[in-house]
Amino acid sequence: MSVFDGFKFRSISSPIHQLDPRAKFIYVCVLFTVAVMFNNIIPLLILFLIQLPIVFMAKVQREWMRSMKGSAVFAIMIFAVNLLSLYFYAGHETFTSILERSLAMTIRFIVLVQSFSIFFLTTSPDTLGLALEQSGIPYELCFAFTTAVRFVPVLAEEAQTIIDAQKARGLEIESGNFLRRIRNYIPILIPLIVNAIRRSLELAETMESRAWGACKNRTNLYVLKIKTNDLLLILFSLLLLTVSIYVSINVYIPSLTSLLI
Amino acid sequence: MTVIEAERLTYTYPAGEKPAFRDVNLKIEEGEFVIITGPSGCGKTTLCRCFNGLIPHFYGGKLEGEIRVCGLNVKEHPTYEIAQRVGMVFQNPENQLFALSVEKDVAFGLENLGVPREEIRKRIDWALKITGTYNLKNRPPYELSGGQQQRVAIASVLAMNPDVMVLDEPTSFLDPAGAEKIFEVIERLNREMSMTIILVEHRLDLVSRYADRIIVMHDGRIVMNGDPREVLASEKTRLIGVGIPKATMLYKLLKHRGINLNRPPLYSEEACQVIKEFLSR
Ligand SMILES: Nc1ncnc2c1ncn2[C@@H]1O[C@H](COP(=O)(O)OP(=O)(O)OP(=O)(O)O)[C@@H](O)[C@H]1O
Ligand SMILES: [Mg+2]
Repeated sequence: MSVFDGFKFRSISSPIHQLDPRAKFIYVCVLFTVAVMFNNIIPLLILFLIQLPIVFMAKVQREWMRSMKGSAVFAIMIFAVNLLSLYFYAGHETFTSILERSLAMTIRFIVLVQSFSIFFLTTSPDTLGLALEQSGIPYELCFAFTTAVRFVPVLAEEAQTIIDAQKARGLEIESGNFLRRIRNYIPILIPLIVNAIRRSLELAETMESRAWGACKNRTNLYVLKIKTNDLLLILFSLLLLTVSIYVSINVYIPSLTSLLI
Repeated sequence: MTVIEAERLTYTYPAGEKPAFRDVNLKIEEGEFVIITGPSGCGKTTLCRCFNGLIPHFYGGKLEGEIRVCGLNVKEHPTYEIAQRVGMVFQNPENQLFALSVEKDVAFGLENLGVPREEIRKRIDWALKITGTYNLKNRPPYELSGGQQQRVAIASVLAMNPDVMVLDEPTSFLDPAGAEKIFEVIERLNREMSMTIILVEHRLDLVSRYADRIIVMHDGRIVMNGDPREVLASEKTRLIGVGIPKATMLYKLLKHRGINLNRPPLYSEEACQVIKEFLSR
């Protein structure tokens, strides 16, 4: 189990997975903007909660939990740093308000991680590449992107094989001082790089053999079309943005403590 | 019709000091099933690369002599043009699939050619069905077994509807069961669609029964070229180090002892048959 599993695409079918990456991208951008706009706890908490139904609709609760757990360390660090710096420099604030501000910053960070996690968990690299392509980015670049993503698990597996093989020959990776440890990785990196080069040559050969570059107007098997759900998401994002701008200018946001007491 | 015609073909890699093969004269007719075999390093892969223009266009180097494929002079036509006539399946199944789904991989060649989307869909289904991989259509290629990957690779070449299919040791990464499935697919392409097949292979035990012709290469030259039974029963072939099928070996041993069977068998069922014939004579 690793933190990255909280961001790695999982192929399941859900209404969120079927959304156009461009719509989701707009949503993530809006969420970012709004999260940065506020530094009070209530609106940030609302942002956090808005996304929970999306997580459940996408059926990625477990992976999402993982990304949350993975970011917990950073969240705590952010909380601590904020708390300390506000305590020592802000002077005349009450401790509760300092506490609340620090919590708000932490929640902002969590909201950002959460939206990233949702985006990457539910967007296949294939459709992401397609979205890039349809946004006018040259095909070669998009192809390089999807192929790179495609070979990440293959290379990871290969690296593990090489590590095991070198360990079996007596290589100790986790020994010695810092420089020594870096040196230990050389016998792993060299075969890995050589293999990667050989692999890329074979891939190039295959591509040539499948008429790569035969015509300028290449077709694409898939096309992305904005559907009703995508429009709804875009509409919702814009609405969220407008409301947030309005609120941040015209409405006084009470602190959580003042509401509770 | 002659699909591949090579005359006095000699090739040297840019890094090579001596030619990888020399003075190759070769003719392959439409609909033929040809096996190329020979010891490691004798130039089989290099020869195959000439069939679709990877040599000289991708590899560079020095190509002397003449080679025409489906009427096209390989030296003058780019790889993507020849690739539409000659499909190429490589040794390592892992590095032939680069998309995130099987379907997308099979579509790749057709997308490059600018074939309309509807037509692409039809041809994907067709190619996947022939190779028995239709049920894998939406799977990511890296999750498949080597044998499945290799059949998908064949499908992606097949979808482009080539006249000739060149397969360079397509089974060397597979177990015998996986290999046999590949051979069944290849044999079907040859028999039902009369596609010309050029197969580089060491496992003659499994595959020589399907071939119309076997070519043996040794040290950069073609040394034998003819009927599978003649080639495999010849002493010269054995001395080069080609893996002769056991059934053919049995024929040779019996002949050595003065027992002359009707004809050299290529596989065990045929050997039974020939021996029965001999005994009831
Ligand atoms: N890319 C290359 N650059 C330089 N020399 C090469 C290259 N590929 C192969 N050779 C050389 O060309 C000769 C023929 O190699 P080739 O790969 O064609 O043999 P092969 O018959 O396919 O062998 P195998 O059965 O092992 O696949 C060998 O001597 C090899 O070292
Ligand atoms: Mg070879």
